[in-house]
Amino acid sequence: MDEDIKLVKKTLKGQKKAFEMIIRKYQRPLINYIGRMVGERELALDFSQEVFIKAYSSLHTFQPQYKFSTWLYKIASNYIIDYWRKKKVQHLSLDHYQEAENECLPLQIPDDEPSIVKKFELSQIREKIEKTLSMIPTQLRELFVWRHVNGLSYEEIAEIKGLPVGTVKNRVFQAKEMIRQSLEEKP
Amino acid sequence: MNCLQIELIYLYLEKELSPSELKEIEEHLFACPKCREQVEERRLLLQAAETLPEFEVPPDFTKKVMSRIFPAKASFFGWRVILGTAFSFLFLSVILIFLALNKNLPNFLLSFILTLGNSVKNMAVIFVKFFKLASLFFKILFHFLGELSRMFSLLTTLISPEIVILVFVAAFILVLSSIYGIRSKFLAGEKL
Repeated sequence: MDEDIKLVKKTLKGQKKAFEMIIRKYQRPLINYIGRMVGERELALDFSQEVFIKAYSSLHTFQPQYKFSTWLYKIASNYIIDYWRKKKVQHLSLDHYQEAENECLPLQIPDDEPSIVKKFELSQIREKIEKTLSMIPTQLRELFVWRHVNGLSYEEIAEIKGLPVGTVKNRVFQAKEMIRQSLEEKP
Repeated sequence: MNCLQIELIYLYLEKELSPSELKEIEEHLFACPKCREQVEERRLLLQAAETLPEFEVPPDFTKKVMSRIFPAKASFFGWRVILGTAFSFLFLSVILIFLALNKNLPNFLLSFILTLGNSVKNMAVIFVKFFKLASLFFKILFHFLGELSRMFSLLTTLISPEIVILVFVAAFILVLSSIYGIRSKFLAGEKL
């Protein structure tokens, strides 16, 4: 049986230590995901606490045929969306972006395609990615972070968001190309 | 084969292609320096994204979450120890006083219990009176503060802020001079 499922079952039987192990295992990836979504460490820590508490209180609804990690990320994603909605925080929506930008992303390599990324050192690219992440639509940013920061598979992401795998792949591709192109624009 | 689509380059780098697709792309890359250049470009981007610095996790994070899920409760055993110790001290004190006074044990115990009962009764009356007085005091204080804030807001709507400040400064000076006057009256004739 999957290690996470065992820990969930032990927690439901009243073993506190099992849930402590779950927190220890997922605290770092969860904080990194939330941190990249909200852009603030302190807020990410608060949200992560709330997500673990929410996960504990609804642990009885977890279905063992799914992965625990995807279930936890789903709770976190809904929590962030709720927070933005309640606080009326302005965030870049995919709908706004798609009308204006989607057609600008080339599918084929243009003949005069300049090298953007190779002009910079790796550390400079990292810095630029961090800055650019807040400027891309949240729906794309979320999928990009899961794929390339948290290392989730496209199938896992599709399961979390309830989207077809092809859509997820396409959105992550859009995010990467948007980030790449914005590297050129940023001073 | 035509030059690679950008999405395909990413899928190639992420090892998301079937063996036949992979073979086809590798053959193309071998012959196409432009696509090789673009693959390297995207490889660097992915490498940077996958090695972004991590957010630091505080060492007490797990403990904090656990304490919010399972709030600490004083155990029944802990309470029993405290109560047991208190009663033991009380019992020991009674025995010591009895030995020091050298009196008849039943009479001594009876008088001790009666004194203890009376003390508890008197203290309870004092506590009740104290809480009644305290609640009355706070009731008056809140009422007074409410009236004061109402008066202040009324004042600010009627008079301009400069005049309000002037009135408050004048009132402050008046209060200070009154205190000084009272103090001088009380200390009249005393050497300062």
